[in-house]
Amino acid sequence: MPALIETILASIFWPAATIGIYLAARQVYRRHPSPWLSPLLVAPVLLIILALILKQSYTQYIHVTHWLVAMLGPATVAFAVPIYEQRATIRRYWPALAFGVVVGSTTAMVTAWGLASLLSIDGTLRLSLMARSFSTPFAMTVSKDIGGVPDLTAIFVVVTGVIGAALGDVLMNILPLKSAMARGALFGMGAHGAGVARANQIGREEGSIASLVMVLVGLVNVLFAPVLSILLR
Amino acid sequence: MTTRQITLSVRRMMHVSAVFQIALLILIWQAGEAVVHLLGLPVPGSVIGLFFVLGLLATGRINIVSLRSGAKFLLAEMLLFFIPAVLAVLDHREFLGLLGVKIFAVILVGATMVMIVTALAVDVSYRLMMRVGDRHARAH
Repeated sequence: MPALIETILASIFWPAATIGIYLAARQVYRRHPSPWLSPLLVAPVLLIILALILKQSYTQYIHVTHWLVAMLGPATVAFAVPIYEQRATIRRYWPALAFGVVVGSTTAMVTAWGLASLLSIDGTLRLSLMARSFSTPFAMTVSKDIGGVPDLTAIFVVVTGVIGAALGDVLMNILPLKSAMARGALFGMGAHGAGVARANQIGREEGSIASLVMVLVGLVNVLFAPVLSILLR
Repeated sequence: MTTRQITLSVRRMMHVSAVFQIALLILIWQAGEAVVHLLGLPVPGSVIGLFFVLGLLATGRINIVSLRSGAKFLLAEMLLFFIPAVLAVLDHREFLGLLGVKIFAVILVGATMVMIVTALAVDVSYRLMMRVGDRHARAH
């Protein structure tokens, strides 16, 4: 049955290619840690080229690799460990974190709306851009609530993560930041999951603060979205 | 084997094997998804799972050693889990033109502003809290 063999090969090929290219990109990044060589940038580009050469659609690709994306679920649960380890810092400085979350979320929404209007992007596309700063499951919920298209928001979220994680490295060195808490909040607020992964490589405290900020931002905005949808109407 | 021996050997296994720890994290995530589905909550199941584990850790029902190496592995390789989602661009060729450049600009400028504002807000309030804390310490 060649059809069956083909199916089996396809369902092994793409996950293997994705993991293989990721590991290779990570190896290169370790030797040359430049933001432009981030595995989150290099690996998708190589995979897109490969998919174009093999004339594969996204539907065919994601059908056999969606379980990799699903691992973001247990990875989110796993953040309980670093958050618990940093509990003393968090308990002591929670007002600073809460302030950052509120100020950051407001800036995210206002800049998305303002910049999109400036470049004459409007309608559902503009609304879909507003939720881009939250991690995927939250962002899709908020996008739906305020009248955006969740699928488009999912793409913008990933692009924000890729750009934000690279940008965070640059900004971290320019800004006069004294605390690991501010560096963590920068990545967690500006680049959600991808930023958290990057912050985790910078330091333990940075990583756990980033993950906490990411979760808080998501929760606050999901709760605030119904109010926002009335304001936008 | 007595129940006690089984409990002990399970506990030992949990402490050494990252694979078992990852399996436990997947199980908790799935339980969280089930809770969300049953109660119709507007929150992802993974976040329910996160708070559940925090609760278990805080009340001492689970030792952090039973989760640490599994959690460390998942968090270290988290970037991999994002990669397949980026390929969604294959289905949206309309973003390859001017519209794509505009959206890229909105995200790039927006992310820069968000990051600067957030980092400075947290850093300034952190330093204020530190100073207030110092003054308190000196007063006592």
